[in-house]
Formats: sequence, structure tokens, C-alpha cells
Amino acid sequence: MYSRRQLLQSVSAGFGYLAFAGITAAEEQAIANPLAPKAPHFPARAKRVIFLCMQGGPSHVDTFDYKPQLTKDHGKRGKYGGSLLKSPWAFRQRGESGLWISDLFPEVAGQADELTLIRSMQCDQPVHPGAMTQMHTGTAQFIRPSLGAWTLYGLGTENDSLPGFVSLSPPSGSSRNYGSSFLPAIYGGAKIGRGGRAARFARSPIGESVPDIKNSKLSKAQQRKQLNYIQSLNKEKLRRERHQPGVEGVIESYELAFRMQDAMPELMDTSNETQQTLALYGADGGSTENFGKQCLLARRFVEAGVRFVEVTHGNWDQHVNLSTDHQARAEACDKPIAGLLQDLKQRDMLKDTLVIWGGEFGRTPAAQGGDGRNHNNKGYTTWMAGGGVKGGFSYGATDEHGYEAVEDKCHIHDWHATILHLLGLDHEQLTYRYAGRDFRLTDVHGDVMTDILA
Amino acid sequence: MTFRRSTFYQVALIFSAAIFTVSSRGDQLTPDEVKFFEAKIRPVLIRECYGCHSNKSGNARGGLRLDTKELTHIGGSSGAAVVPGDLEESLLYNAIVHEDFVMPPKRKLSQEVIDDFRRWIEMGAPDPRVTEIAEIRSSITDEDIGSARENFWAYKHPVDPQSPSVEHSAWPKGKIDHFILAKLEASSLEPAGDAEAYKVLRRLCFDLVGLPPTPEQIDYFRKKWDEDPDQAIALVVDRLLEKDQFGERWGRHWLDVVRYAESTGREVNMTYPHAWRYRDYVIDSFNDDKPFNEFVQEQIAGDLMPVESDEEWAEHLVATTFLAMGPKNVNEQNRVQFAADVADEQIDATTRVFLGASVACARCHDHKFDAIPQTDYYALAGVFRNMTTYFGNPPSEFGAFSTAQRKRDSSLILLPIDDPNPFDKRYSQTELANLRQELIDTQRNAAEVRRQARESGNQQDAIRNRIRTANQLSELSGKLAVVDQNGNPRSYCMGVQETSAPANAKLLVRGEIDQAAQVVERGFPQVLCSTPVKIDPDKSGRLELARWIGSDQNPLTARVMANRVWQHMIGAGIVTSTENFGVTGQAPSHPQLLDYLAVRLVNSGWSIKRLVREIATSRVYRIKSTFNERHHEYDPDNALIWRANPRRLDAESIRDSMLVISGEIDFDRPRGSEVAKAGYTRVQGGVLGNPRDAAKKAMEMAGEKVRQQMRERFAGGRGTRRPIGGSRFGPGRRSVGRGQVDRQTRSVIETSMREVARKVTNQLDMEDAKFRSVYLPIVRDEEPRSLEVFDFADASAITGTRESSNTANQALYMMNNPFVIQQSQAFARRVARDSARVKDQVEYAFILAYGRPPTSGERSATAAFVHGFAPSMGYRNGGGEVLSALCQSLFASAEFRFVD
Repeated sequence: MYSRRQLLQSVSAGFGYLAFAGITAAEEQAIANPLAPKAPHFPARAKRVIFLCMQGGPSHVDTFDYKPQLTKDHGKRGKYGGSLLKSPWAFRQRGESGLWISDLFPEVAGQADELTLIRSMQCDQPVHPGAMTQMHTGTAQFIRPSLGAWTLYGLGTENDSLPGFVSLSPPSGSSRNYGSSFLPAIYGGAKIGRGGRAARFARSPIGESVPDIKNSKLSKAQQRKQLNYIQSLNKEKLRRERHQPGVEGVIESYELAFRMQDAMPELMDTSNETQQTLALYGADGGSTENFGKQCLLARRFVEAGVRFVEVTHGNWDQHVNLSTDHQARAEACDKPIAGLLQDLKQRDMLKDTLVIWGGEFGRTPAAQGGDGRNHNNKGYTTWMAGGGVKGGFSYGATDEHGYEAVEDKCHIHDWHATILHLLGLDHEQLTYRYAGRDFRLTDVHGDVMTDILA
Repeated sequence: MTFRRSTFYQVALIFSAAIFTVSSRGDQLTPDEVKFFEAKIRPVLIRECYGCHSNKSGNARGGLRLDTKELTHIGGSSGAAVVPGDLEESLLYNAIVHEDFVMPPKRKLSQEVIDDFRRWIEMGAPDPRVTEIAEIRSSITDEDIGSARENFWAYKHPVDPQSPSVEHSAWPKGKIDHFILAKLEASSLEPAGDAEAYKVLRRLCFDLVGLPPTPEQIDYFRKKWDEDPDQAIALVVDRLLEKDQFGERWGRHWLDVVRYAESTGREVNMTYPHAWRYRDYVIDSFNDDKPFNEFVQEQIAGDLMPVESDEEWAEHLVATTFLAMGPKNVNEQNRVQFAADVADEQIDATTRVFLGASVACARCHDHKFDAIPQTDYYALAGVFRNMTTYFGNPPSEFGAFSTAQRKRDSSLILLPIDDPNPFDKRYSQTELANLRQELIDTQRNAAEVRRQARESGNQQDAIRNRIRTANQLSELSGKLAVVDQNGNPRSYCMGVQETSAPANAKLLVRGEIDQAAQVVERGFPQVLCSTPVKIDPDKSGRLELARWIGSDQNPLTARVMANRVWQHMIGAGIVTSTENFGVTGQAPSHPQLLDYLAVRLVNSGWSIKRLVREIATSRVYRIKSTFNERHHEYDPDNALIWRANPRRLDAESIRDSMLVISGEIDFDRPRGSEVAKAGYTRVQGGVLGNPRDAAKKAMEMAGEKVRQQMRERFAGGRGTRRPIGGSRFGPGRRSVGRGQVDRQTRSVIETSMREVARKVTNQLDMEDAKFRSVYLPIVRDEEPRSLEVFDFADASAITGTRESSNTANQALYMMNNPFVIQQSQAFARRVARDSARVKDQVEYAFILAYGRPPTSGERSATAAFVHGFAPSMGYRNGGGEVLSALCQSLFASAEFRFVD
């Protein structure tokens, strides 16, 4: 048989184990909720995260990494072949800080003094699926918990009626990027809307905000009675079979679902937002409407206490038609992102909300077919704002054309370590024991970029 | 034996709308043609166009470059600049006459020059400008390839291995068990004991037919099991293999792998109304236990295989739907790009599905890890480019009409047999004549609109009008196209047909269509060919490819499929990366066992049923799922199979089980699918066809429903307004104020609106359908909720292994979804019919749902629930509501969802 400690180790930290550990209902209430807020390792600069995931690889040399030498050497042969392509967009110095940002992001540029640009990003994967997965989980080789799941595991969440980790409109087939892997299922990201369509739920006036969110037959009290019965059956099963992460997952999913029935419709209903707010996000129409609504939803989620919200804006993969399609992608998200930053600021939430912007990699300084760029994973730019990072700050640098990070390199492991640090978590201490080994988000790597801390 | 290819080819040509290969002129130009080009065309191009559109100037506005023949044909982001012989499609001409584009900007060329261009394009656009061809040399040497072929496990021919000796010799039932036990013993682990009879039966039933066993089957099996477990299992397996539900279960596994769907997906999601024929073909093939190698060959080259009857011919054509039903970006402007992408998708699917090899990575560069040079990709591309893919709608006698959103048209293949759907449209002669007239009028109208736009210069209106008329033309033509001269429906399928003269493909530098390098001779990936395969210069090589993949000598085909079968029976593959048997994939946990299964598959005449039978009757198949701390520490992923993997049922089994347990299931195969009924149309917002029409229809339905309910309310009561459903105090006892009525009226309207809106916007969920889940409509990105919520395979991706999650979304579905509630009520009615005593009802409900009576803990939990819940329901409906809630709880519980 097992000791209690062994059980805790082998049977995950979910509350399912309580079913056979003989703990009373009252005790269960007090300690069982795996989503209950937990103290960080040290005082946190950021309490929550909004991750704006730019899937497809936006070009750093056309957005946030100013390369005058690339302009000068336009048409010359690049160091890995192909001819160098100057950016079709002009760069300007912005704000008091004078950060160089291109005309692709004029609205975000207006918030330059809030941003820390990390211009020396690196990851190990030159292809989309691998790089996306590494950006989210630290490795592309194995299925591992995602950044959001680790965060939730480390900190719990402020609102137990909502999932603590929400992924709005993730690309289809990408669930490992917001999954919990071996962490208890409750820490996995809840997908809201599929394939860029979270906004569809927010739009529909007579439809449901979330599918099957309301029972047509039973009152709340009746349904709770029914749910207690379902859970007693589930706990019976767990008692019989001991190690069953799947059953624990089912038990947890019902409790959350029951509470979500009240919380979600209210949260998804944006009708009480003012016209002014909608306009701030560009959520009132035009090409910014979809992403604007999602950014607005992201703010509503974090405001309600959700710990980690990811919003995806896809199709940045411009091997061809860079000048028109990068323009269109940027236009659809520039105003919404700037609106989000301003709105957080005016609600006094930016100071402890970490906003992260970035794609899985950048793009080559050399041209592909005259009006396109290839993948570039050895040097690219992401940025952070709010939540304990400096404003109007630039960190690291790529070489003169923008191929490789050469100064203060920030590998994706360093990036993860820094994000956890800002949340008050030590990436070396945040471990989870699985199959006899302690796992970390950063494996055996990762250095915190102390220079960017405010 | 008859070869019907050539006659068929003529038929196919008549209906072919788009041929992907650019039919440009050969290289032999007459001196007159060269002279015409040099005198009339080249100077104008240099003077007027190159400044913004050439490599020389370094400008490629709109992605367009005009300084070589190839680049001119490829065109820019709006499409081909010149399509030889086709003025309509040649955007260069369109631009110089200032139709949709205006070039040169601000100025029109002289009529004389315009006429020159017209003549040039009409004569086939002879163009002597040759592009310098680069030669890309591979970084992968012949030695690299040879060494990979000789050393990497998956490329070596599987040999029947000796069974290893084991200590615990009484445990194995067959050779499979020897391999399993030997590995466990080597790690000092031991297999779990045998599971209980009902659990083994549950596994067998779900694994073989995707359905739970009935109480009668459980009783029967237990008796047999007590006599002799081996015989009991063998008997049940043989019976299950004979059922039609076997093909529905195993066919669906295959449909996951081949990314089966009934629409194109992507931004402009057009239906594939004939894809269901392939679905039925797959199900029938598994039921007939068609030798797997033949099944493989038919899907890759069914159109080229000899046949003995029209029925067989039709079956083979339907099989090639495999190549045609991939996701497509039909609003791709560039036809060359589109053709390259379609072929790429076909190569990717063929190699990953059958061979577990990722060849498509080599489209842009050498695939270093697996020793697949880029030239091998283009050798294979040559095989696939020599065919036309049919996935759209046939053109009518008036031609094909593309629309603003749907740029890439395609036709269909006319089946050699008559097999119309009962729901297909039929037209009388008068209706036909009217349709034709309407089409002619619309064409005339379209011409008029164009003329007016040119004269008035109102671009906005012109564009709007043109989009509108194009849509009308396309719709009318589509209606005409699918019937014969007498207005009777024709029978079509999707698929592929060879083009006439096979040609090799050019290597494209970094996979870019405008960066052609050397021509690569057609062939197959060298690393996978132990002996080189010769392709007849007069043939595309696709038939040879099919035969090579489906051959006993191919090292991968049998391994890949045996691994899939193992995964579906045991819960995890021997190679867990089921589509990647390459160097970057996962190594096999039991390499010898995999070889054994592969050899068995081939030697049985490629019988899937025999392989399933062998695994089902093994010892390892029947062990318990009991947890063991020590074993878990050593092997947390259960790779060595020390216990049975507890598995969550897949989406289809969850839905089908509810239908079986409620007694509502309809085992008849529905004809076609919802998508077939809707025909060729765009899917938007979850609606087949125009969402506006659907909304209008919904409003009408809702209106009718409200009117009806109002009539019911106001009938009977001699003018008294009675609240809906009656009040507790009965009608007439309480006077009803005006405000209340209005509120009630509003609520009636709102509820009806919601219900109807749900039915329309959730049309593809088919909540009222009672047939098996495999027949639900599969529209890309709009998969039915009942499937999607339980990790259904992404229909746009090749999926050998589904995910298995437990989410709050699933909990909401089980708690609140109308289908689940409906089925719970039917389940409760069935239980109530069986017995009037609550105790017996509970017992029966558990047996139906779990395959066993309740445990004592479950019994007391149930009693507590009934006592607590019934008063809250006010004992309505004689306890029916309570029983429904109880039955729903059983559906919702973890025990129902897991097979242990």
C-alpha cells in the first residue's frame, strides 16, 4: 500500500485523490480546489498575463527591429544567399523613449513608452508547428505542459467560476500548445471558439454565448443535486481504481462547468461596454472588429480574475505578398492591441498585467521571390508591456541585417524564465513530479533577463 | 478483362472544366510567331510594363513580373497575366482594355497595340523568351541514401522473428504474448491479471463495432467465459467481425487518417456533395475484408486499374476520391500556385497515410534526416501532376462560371453506372427551358452591366453588379449541370483522371512556383526503394506507385497499417507517431512484435479482420487496467503494457452508445448525407448555403410556430386568455392582466425564436438524427458538436491518433445538450417500460449503461439522489423526470465514458 505522501506524488495534485483519502466534504471545500490562489515564491510584479500570439511569424525587420544597414544594402547578396530586401515600411522614433518602430504598427507605436522590445529572441525550430510548440511548452520534441498551464499550476486563479487559463480562437489541431500534458487536466487551457471565431459567440444576439451553457429543464438547485449524484458515481470509480488521471479530470471538469454556467454568459456579453470602449479596440466594425472583440474579451477575462489569457492572430507567414499581406495582418490587430494597452492603463490594471506580443519566429532579411521573406528563428523580436517590465526600453540586438541575435540573446527558455519571474515564480523551483522525475518548464535551461525588470 | 480508360477519358474531358497544367505552346515557334512577338509585343512590354513588373527593375508590384514567359504565365497576386488562347482569363488583356484593372495607370494603349495583344494571346501567346534554368544539386549523396536504406529499421524489410523464450510460459496465448512478456520480464515487471468477463466483452464490443454489449450478450458471454475464456472470446470476435457495424467502426478510423471531409475548408468553404460515396466505399471495404493492398492501390490509382464490370469500375473511381477530397484554397488567385498546392497535399497525404513518411517536407529543401533529397519530391510530383483532380461541380452547356470568392473551378467524374439519390433534383422540360432562358437573360444582363460600368465609370456599382451576376450565373449553371437533357439527375463522384501526355516536373527552388530549376525524371523516394522502380515513359507512373506501395515487398505499408490496428485495439501504437516512421518519429517499443504483425498481415492475404482477430484473442488484450505503483515509476507511459490502458471512448462511441442504450438507434445507413442534399454550395457560419436565406426561413418558421402557439392559447377559453401550459390554479381562476400577457407573448416569441435559430445555425449538428455517428455531415471547421466536443479528428489534417481530453466543455455538453437530454428521456422511458419498481429500474439502468449492476456504493448514492431530487421536481410526470435525470447522470459519469 501507499503512504499518504506517495499518493500525493503519484496521483497528481488534483482533488480526485481526496475521494479515497477519506477527507470530509468540509475539508474538501477548504483545501481541495486546485484552482485556489496560491502564494508565489516571491512578490510578483504581474498578477496575470495576456499573451497576444502572432501565429505564422511576423517579420521583425519590418516591425520592431530597425535595420538601417539592411536598407543601405538592399539588393546585395545576403549572408545565406538571396538578395537583401529593405523593409517596405518606414521606421520612426516614437514617444519620449525614441524607440524605433515601423509604420506597420502606428497605433502600437503610440504606446512605445510602455513597451520593452526584446530584439534578440531565438528558438530552435525553423518550422511553424515545432516553433509554435516550443514557444508554448519549451520543447517541440515531447508533449509537455504549456506556459499557461504552468502559470495556473503555480498561482491558481482568482475566479473559480471561470477556467484559469483561456485560449481564444486557437488554430485547429494546436491543443498541445495550451494543454496540461502531465499536469492535472484542470490546468489546461479552455478553448473558446475555434479557428478565429470566438467573436462569433460574442456577436450572436439570440444564440448562446457558449454552447450548451444553459439547461432547458432543470433549475440551478435541481441541477446541483444531479451533479452531486454524478460526482458521487465518479468518486466511487476513483475509489475503486486509484490512479486514474482521466477520472480526476472528469470530476474537476464538472465542478468548473457548473460554475461557468453563470459566469460565462455574463462575461461574453459585451453589450454593457460603451461605444467609446468598443471604438478604442476597433471592435465596432471594419477589419479590426474580430481581433478587437477578442482583445476586449481578453480584458474582460483578466478583469474577472482569469490568470492567463491567450489570443491568437494568425496568417503572418508571408513567403509572398509581404507588402500587402503583412500590411493587412497588422492593420487588423494594431488598433486592438493599442486599445487594449490604453484600456488596461485607464483601469489601472496595466501595472500588474503582463501583456506579451510575439510570433513563433521572425523572417529573413533576404527576400523570397521579390516580395516575401522566409522563416528566421535565430533572431527576432517579441515585446512585453505592463506587469513589471520597463517602458520604452529595448533589450538585445540582432546583427546589422537582422539574421541572428548577437547581443543579450534571449532564448525561448530565458523568455519563459523571465515571464515566470515577473509572476513571482522561480522557474527552477516550479517543478512537478511525474513518474519519478521533477519536470520544469525550462528543463535545465533559462536565465531571467533582469535588465528588463522595472 | 476490359480496359475502359480511353473511352472514359473522352467522357471525362467533356466534363472537365479546369486542367491544372498550363497548356502553353511548345518550344517550337514558327519564324512568323517569333517575328510577331519581337515586333509587336516585346517592345511594348519593355516600354510600358517592365518598369514596375520585372526582375530587371527589381519591382514586382502586385507580385507580377513579366520579363520571362514562365513568370508571365504565373502572373501575380490577382492571377495569370497571360493564359495562352484565353482572353477572358488573361489579366494582362483585361488590364490594357481597362476592364477590371487599369494598365498602364492613367493612360490607355492605342487600339492598334491592344489588338496586337489580343491576336497574340489568341494565337497561343508564342513567346521565345527562355528562362535560364538553374541546376540544384542535392546535399544528400547516394551513399547517404544507401546507408539510411540499409541501417534504419523502418526501411529494412520486416522478417518473421523467432518468438523469444519467456519464464512464465503458461501466460502467453500466442506469439504476440511472447513478445510482450519477454520485454516485461527483461525489466522485472509482470503483466496484470485477466480482467473480469464483462469488461473484456465491453472492450471487444467497443473495439470491434464501437458499441456497448447488450445485457443479453453479457449474460451469454459470462456463461461461455466460465466454461472456457479462450473459446468465449473467439466466438464473440467471429460474430462481431461479421457485423456491418465493424466496417462503420474501422472505416471511421480510416476516414480520420485520410482527412475525410465533405467540404474544401479554408476561407471559402465549398461543399463536396459527392464525398459520401467514398465514405461508404471505405465502410464496405472493411466489411468485405477487402485485401488491404488492393484497398491501397484503388485509392491511389483506381482510375487506372483494369476492371471487369461497370460496378467495379465505379467503385475504383470512387476510391480515388482519396486524392481529391483534401482541403483546398479555392479562392487562390493563381492557378499555377493552386495546382502546385493540390499536388503537394496529395503527395503529403499519400506518403504519410500509407508509408508513414513525410516526403512533402522536401518540397522546399532536402529532407536531411530521412535522406529524402528535394529531387525525390519533384520526381514524385511528376507522377501526381499528370492528373486532373475533380472536386467541384460540372459545367453546364453554357460553360463554368467562377465567382469572386471561388476562383478555382473544377468538375466531377461521371459514374459509369446510374446511381441517383432519391433527393436529387429533377426538372420537367418546361423547367429546363425556363432555366436555360434565365441563364441566357442573366448573361445578357451581365454584358449590359459591364457596358454601363465602362461608360459611367462608377466602379463601386460595377463591381457589386458583377459579383452579383457572376453568383447568379454560377448558381443557374450549377443547377443545369447536374441533370441530363431530360432533366434527370446524373451520378457523379470526386476523383482523379490522367492527362494525356505524361511529363516530368521541374524542381522549384525553395518550392516557389516562379523559381523553376532542372527537370526531374519521374520516380519514387529512393530511400524507400530497395530496388529502383522503372516508370514507362508513356505512363505517369501513378499505377506503378500504387502497385509499389501496395506490394508485399514494401517495407513500410504493412508495418504502418499493422501499427494502426494495434493502436486501436491496445490504446497506443507500437510506434506512437503513427504517421511518422522516419528518423524524427518515435522508435518502436516492440520492434520484433511490429515485424511479426506486419508479416502476419501480408501472409494472411492482407486481411485486416484476421489481424484484429489475432490481437483480440491474445492474452495481453484481456489483462486488467489495475494501477501498480512500482510499475508506474518504472514505465509511466505503460509502453511495455504491464496493464491495459484505460481509454476514454471516442466521440462516435459516446454518441452511438447513448442511442443504443436509449433504444433509439437506427442501424440503417442513411443515403448520402446532409451535404449531398444541399448540393454544391458555400458553407458560412455553420449554414449550408446562403445564411441570409437560412435566416429568412428561420424567421418564417418561428413566425408560424408563434402563431400556432397563440392560436392554441386563445382557443378553447371562450375568450379567456389562458397562460401557456396552464397554471397551477387552473384556467380562469386568476384574472390575467394585460401586462402579463404581453410579457408571456414576448417570452413565447423569444423561446420559439431561440429554438428555431438553434435548429438553423446548428443545422450541421443534426441533434435529431438517430443514425450512427459515422454518417453525420463532416464539413471542415464545422464538425458536429457531438463529435467535436469529444476530440473528433480535425478533418483538415491527417490524424492517426486522436487526442483524449476531459474538459468543462464536455461537462456542459453532457449536462445541457438537447440531444443528451432527449436520449436520457428515451433511456428513462425504456427503463420504465421494463419494470415499475424503482429498485428494478435502477438495476436495469446500470446494466444497460455500464454492463453491470450497481455496486453497493453506487446503489446508496442512487437512493440518496432519488430521495433528494424527487421532491424538488414535485413528483411531476409520475417520476419520469427523476428517472430521466438519473439516466442522464449515468451517461454523464466517468464510468460510461471509459473502457477499462
